[in-house]
Amino acid sequence: MLNNNPALKHIVGRVGWYLVTFLVAVTINFFLPRLGDANPVDTIMAKVSTGLDTKSARVKEEAYLKEFGLVEVDAQGKVKRDAQGKPVPTPLSSQFVNYMGMSLQGDLGSSILQHPKRVSEIIKTAIPWTIALQLPTIIFGWIIGNVLGALAAYKRGAFDKILYPMALLTSAIPAFCFGILLVYFFGIRLEWFPAVGGYDEGLTPELSGEFLSSAAYYYVLPFLSVFLLVVGGQAIGMRSMCIYELGTDYVKYAKLLGVKESKILFYMFRNAMLPQLTGLALALGTMVGGALIAEIIFSYPGLGMTILTAIQGNDYPVITGCTLLITVTVLIANFSADVMIGLLDPRIKAVQSGGK
Amino acid sequence: MMRIREYSTKLSALLLALATLSAGGSGCKRSAKEDTAGLPRAETLYVAGRQWGEPASFNPLSSNPDWPVNGLNLMYETLLLYNPQTGKMEPLLAESFKQSDESIEVTLNAAARWSDGRPVTGWDVKCSYDLGYKHKSLPMSPVWQYLSEVRLLDNAGNAVADTPNDSPDYPRRIEFVLDKARLNPLVILDALQDTRIVPRHVIEPLLAKANGSVEEFSKLKFDKAPVVTGPYQLKLFSSEKIVMERRPDYWGNQALYAGKLPAPKYVVHPIYKSNDHFSVALQQGRLDMSSTFVPRIWLKHKKGVRSWFDEAPYFQAASVPILSINVKHRPLNDVAIRRAMAFAINYTDIRELAVSGYSEPLKAGLILPFGLESKYYSEEDVKKYGASYDPARAKAVLKEAGYVSTFNEKGELLETRDKTGQRVPTVFIKSPTGWSDWESIVRIAVRGMREVGIDARERFVDASLFWNAMFQGDFDLIMNTPASSPSPSKPWSRFEAIMTTQDFAAEGDKMYKNMGRFNDPKAPGYIPRIDELLATIPTMKDEAQLMQAYRELNVIFMEQQPTLPLVYRPDQFYEFSTRHWSNFATGKNPYLPPQIPGERLGTRMLWSIKAVAQQ
Repeated sequence: MLNNNPALKHIVGRVGWYLVTFLVAVTINFFLPRLGDANPVDTIMAKVSTGLDTKSARVKEEAYLKEFGLVEVDAQGKVKRDAQGKPVPTPLSSQFVNYMGMSLQGDLGSSILQHPKRVSEIIKTAIPWTIALQLPTIIFGWIIGNVLGALAAYKRGAFDKILYPMALLTSAIPAFCFGILLVYFFGIRLEWFPAVGGYDEGLTPELSGEFLSSAAYYYVLPFLSVFLLVVGGQAIGMRSMCIYELGTDYVKYAKLLGVKESKILFYMFRNAMLPQLTGLALALGTMVGGALIAEIIFSYPGLGMTILTAIQGNDYPVITGCTLLITVTVLIANFSADVMIGLLDPRIKAVQSGGK
Repeated sequence: MMRIREYSTKLSALLLALATLSAGGSGCKRSAKEDTAGLPRAETLYVAGRQWGEPASFNPLSSNPDWPVNGLNLMYETLLLYNPQTGKMEPLLAESFKQSDESIEVTLNAAARWSDGRPVTGWDVKCSYDLGYKHKSLPMSPVWQYLSEVRLLDNAGNAVADTPNDSPDYPRRIEFVLDKARLNPLVILDALQDTRIVPRHVIEPLLAKANGSVEEFSKLKFDKAPVVTGPYQLKLFSSEKIVMERRPDYWGNQALYAGKLPAPKYVVHPIYKSNDHFSVALQQGRLDMSSTFVPRIWLKHKKGVRSWFDEAPYFQAASVPILSINVKHRPLNDVAIRRAMAFAINYTDIRELAVSGYSEPLKAGLILPFGLESKYYSEEDVKKYGASYDPARAKAVLKEAGYVSTFNEKGELLETRDKTGQRVPTVFIKSPTGWSDWESIVRIAVRGMREVGIDARERFVDASLFWNAMFQGDFDLIMNTPASSPSPSKPWSRFEAIMTTQDFAAEGDKMYKNMGRFNDPKAPGYIPRIDELLATIPTMKDEAQLMQAYRELNVIFMEQQPTLPLVYRPDQFYEFSTRHWSNFATGKNPYLPPQIPGERLGTRMLWSIKAVAQQ
């Protein structure tokens, strides 16, 4: 049946590959943070050991190691010890088996540094802010960037001469630089917009006009700091794609045939759009990783900072939980792009159907 | 073109809806409480610096709870308060205390009540301490090394059984009996002003439900109207802030403040992600008090940002960042090298460049030459035995010990050889990457050492690796601040943290004090006098005798140079904004120490500050 339906065959094949990629990614996500010498309990001990004498600190450290399953425990619930009386660390392989077992049941475990918080709870509070900041910036930035790029390529002249260098500039400025400039001028010098936070400190997140308008007001600078960079990057890419398309035979032929200009423009736009579409899918996939730099510069809530602190403190469950989320969304986004391009691009359609 | 425009308009409308939904969604999740209008600015005090990440647990038995449980006295209270300005213990849950040679006895304030109306009893206090005896991983456990028993007494002084009941004659006198083998009242006093008293009638049933397992118990978050004694209750919290609300029925309003309520109805701790934001928020008047590092504070005066003092040094120093030296590593086992290092470091540069000049000039030794400790400070000893920045002297010490350093024509150090002609290995100074003030301290120290001919280099490591290395002794030199918070046991506890030989462990096994493995009792050159002094100082009462002992200990420290003190700095910084509140304690008006509300004695400031009338 698959042989009769090349598109379906293509999709099933891709699904297989995505499953393999997923498993490899999950394995790497699990082992990578644990390969180093460091241990999340050391980070906790640094905080809680001030004033402790050595003996109580050791007892405490063991209690933490036991709690987070980093040492072996015997049938009575006592920590297993080696010949020197030191606790026996749990082998990575059995930690991995535990982790896979829990993940398959949808349990991401609980954070070590933010003990006793669940990883799912941490992700749940951060993700709405991340999506609220990232999704509109990426989508609008992508649309506006591409339209501007296409126009610049087609119109040339003064429009291009102004837009192109500006796009180069905004896409070339490092994100943190641009964010800091925005904070400095509009947040601190002019005090037009708040420099710090996601909403007024006196408010509580809720569906009220006051909260939403405060959130919108606080949204402006972080939004701009990401948005303008996306626009610049997209415009440059689209402009070059369109310039290439303008020189192709089909455009020349269409012109010779006297096809309407808007029709030509549409064809051109559609073809130039394909690689940009892959870019969009990728950006949407990695989006959940958070706009780390904007989050740090504006103390904006979101997942980026969560991941950064987790990595710094070797908070294994949070790292693996977040990377799992990122892996899944990147794979889904890529898969949708694959399918979409397969449906949109006549060339791929042709190949799949065996050059009919 | 037309079709694309249509398409994009539709798309953007859709996305706008999505974005609004997702922003709103984040709101729905948190319970929308009754007063949705937000917190009135005139009744809200914003404080910061004690909570860095998302709040996770307000469990009073946790070693690492979130603000304000970690700071003391907003929610859970201690028996006594220590005033680092006067050196006196002040009353809180306990109205008085008596100290004898064998024990310390406290008497509870009869008015002290839990938020559920029950009285705070001796049974609560005994339970709060005894938990640390049974469970070694709890924060109140270390004091049991010096404590033999917590006894309850009735008003006549007879022993009361440890069986709580609802009788109105509950025990109010609690006797902390010292361990005779290790007499140390200082450590007990530290604990009395540091241990949160927890409600026995809440904790014990919960612990029983967890089958007595502290690990299981630690999963409880205590975030929904927990039973407390303090003047504020947890109202709500999120990843952006923690909101505390005033308890009008707080027992202390009547018993301690003559019926007055604390001025702010709400105390809020916003959670920012970078240090600069506290500085910006203070200048914009969005934050009222902070204990974060604000560089060049004098530039912020015109925006109403003030610190403890209006002039240099701006803050009151209380702690001493040091370089711990691993004396088991060659060549650091040689006291001449350690002394030469102490002469080679430019302490003025460290003070000016690394801590914005926020402290008095450094003097040798471990006793602060200002404040309460200065009564044990001897300028004479420091001049005679102490090291100060003097490169020529550093070179002389090295030469005398037979070290020969070779420099290239640009004056850069090539290598150092000891008196047997062997090359001296490079020593590395560890510090966590990205801790910029520590990094600049280390750079200044390395520069000074290399100039006099000691082959030292920076080694900045990942913070998580850093701590492990420190406890295991896996370092040559390492940055840290020993026993930093002001407490009744200063300066003894600072000496103890650096020189104690208790639970001495080889490199590779962890030690949480004396990480440099100084004065190994099993190695040649052991100085038993240090341990004697550390054991006897806490029991001394005669000031002249104390002075003598501290002088002797400080001289040994200066001669042996087991670590390198680098600079003085405040334990917690103290800044405030004058835009919304006034009458903060300051150097000019030191009615309380420089501690922000929610931090030990500083909590009392809530009854003294006044809202600034807004035009």
